[in-house]
Amino acid sequence: MKGLLLKDFYNIRKQAGWYAGMIVLFCALSVVLKNAAFAGTIGILAATAVPLSAVAYEEKDGWQKFAAAGGISARTAVAEKYLLGALAALFGCIGYFASLAVLAAMGSGTENAAEWVLPVCMQFISLSVVLPLVFRFGVEKGRTYMTVAIVLFLLAIVGLFPLLGNLLADGRIALAVGAACFTALLLAASCAVSVRIYSKKEF
Amino acid sequence: MLKIDNLCKRYANFRLEDVSFDVPDGAVVGLIGENGAGKSTVIKSILGAVHPDGGEILFDGKKIEALSKSDRQKIAFVLDDVGLPGELSPTMLGKVMSGVFEKWDAEKFRGFVREFSLPEKKPLKEFSKGMKMKTAIAVALSYESELLILDEPTDGLDPVVRSDILGMLYDYNRDGRRAVLLSSHITADLEKICDYIVYLHEGKVVFDEEKDALLDKYAVYGADERQLAELDKDAVVRILRREYGVDILAVKEKMPQGFGFRPACLDDIMLFFAKGERI
Repeated sequence: MKGLLLKDFYNIRKQAGWYAGMIVLFCALSVVLKNAAFAGTIGILAATAVPLSAVAYEEKDGWQKFAAAGGISARTAVAEKYLLGALAALFGCIGYFASLAVLAAMGSGTENAAEWVLPVCMQFISLSVVLPLVFRFGVEKGRTYMTVAIVLFLLAIVGLFPLLGNLLADGRIALAVGAACFTALLLAASCAVSVRIYSKKEF
Repeated sequence: MLKIDNLCKRYANFRLEDVSFDVPDGAVVGLIGENGAGKSTVIKSILGAVHPDGGEILFDGKKIEALSKSDRQKIAFVLDDVGLPGELSPTMLGKVMSGVFEKWDAEKFRGFVREFSLPEKKPLKEFSKGMKMKTAIAVALSYESELLILDEPTDGLDPVVRSDILGMLYDYNRDGRRAVLLSSHITADLEKICDYIVYLHEGKVVFDEEKDALLDKYAVYGADERQLAELDKDAVVRILRREYGVDILAVKEKMPQGFGFRPACLDDIMLFFAKGERI
C-alpha cells in the first residue's frame, strides 16, 4: 500500500499541487464572499479528480498489469485508490472547516450541523459513485458516466429539495447523522463493488 | 518449478487451446511463435493478468491463483510494455518498489542503475526503448526470485542492447537453481541461451523440445518434385514449394545418406511449421 501511494503521489504531484492551490483559492473566495459553498464544492472535485488522475496514469503506463503480476491483490489496489480519494477529501475538509471557522469568527458562521456535515458527505458520495465506474469502464468512459451520474444526482437533489429544506430547518442533527450513516454505507458498498469489478479485470 | 497443464483461454477471435509445458528448475525455456500465436496470453495467464478459462498453472506445486503475495513475488517478470510509471525517475522508482516488493534490495537496484548507465533523476518517459527495458530488468532482478519471466524483452532493440540483456539473463541463471521463461520471436537470441524451446502456433503447442536435440534433429534440404516423391514420408516434416523446387524440413536421421542439407535454425523450423505443407 505504501509503495502504491508513493507511486501515485509522484505521478500526480503536479496536479495535486494545482488542486491544493484551488482549494486555498476557493476557501479564500468563500471567506471574501461569505459563502461556504465554494469551499464545499472544491473539496468534492478534489476528492474525485485526484484518484481519477492516478488511475489515468496507471492506464497509460500499463501499471495495472505490472501490479497484478507483482502480487498486488485487487483488494489492495482498490483500497489504495479510496485512501487516495479520502486523503484528497481530508484536505478539502480542512479547507472547508477552516472557511467555516473564519466565517464564524467574522460573525457569518452557521451552527447548523447539516451544513458542516453534508459537504463532507458529498465528497465521499461522489468518490463512491465515481470509482466503481472508473474501474469498470476505464477513465475515459468513466468520466462520461460520471457526468451522467452527477446530473442524475443533482436532479434527485432538486426533486427532493422540498423535503431536504424542511429537514434542514427542522431536523438538522437527524439530517447530519442520517447523511453520515448513508455515506458510510454507500462507501462500504462502493468498495465491495469496486473490488469485485477489479478482480474480474484483465490487463 | 513451473507447470502449465492444458491451459485454455478463449477470446472472440482467438483461442488458446490445451497449452501444456514445464519450466524445470534451473532451465531457460524459450517460448516462440508468430505474432498473435498466444505467447503473451500464456505469460499473462501465469502472471495473473488474465484469467484462464481452463487448465492449471502450478508454481512449486501450488496453484498459481492461490499463491500468497510472498510466493507470487518469487516470480520476477519483465513485461513487453514495461508497465513502469513514466513520470518516475529511477531514484523514485527504487523508493516505490521497496514498498511493493517484500524482498526488495535497494542497494542492488542502485547498482544496476549505475551499471546500465541509467540517468538517476530523469523520468522514465524520456528514456529510449532500450533504457526502459533495462530499467524493467533492473527492477526484476532487484528482488529475490526463483523464476524470471520475460515477454519479448529484446523486441525492437539494437544488437548491443540485446546482447547486454542476454548477458543479464545468463547471470541470473548461472547458479543453476533459478529458471527463466522467455518469449520472443527473435529466435537467434533464444538459440544463444535456451535449454528448451516451446513453439506456439495459432494458440496450440506444436512442439516442446530440448533446444540442442531440436536443432540436431532437423535439417533443411533442397529437392525437386521427383526427389521428394522418392523420400520416406516419415522423414519429411514439412515442405515449402518454391519456384526452383521444394524446400524440405526433414528428420535428419531418416533421410538418405549423401542428400545435401544445411542445419535448420529455429527460424527455419518456425517458418516450416507455420507455412509449410505436410505430405
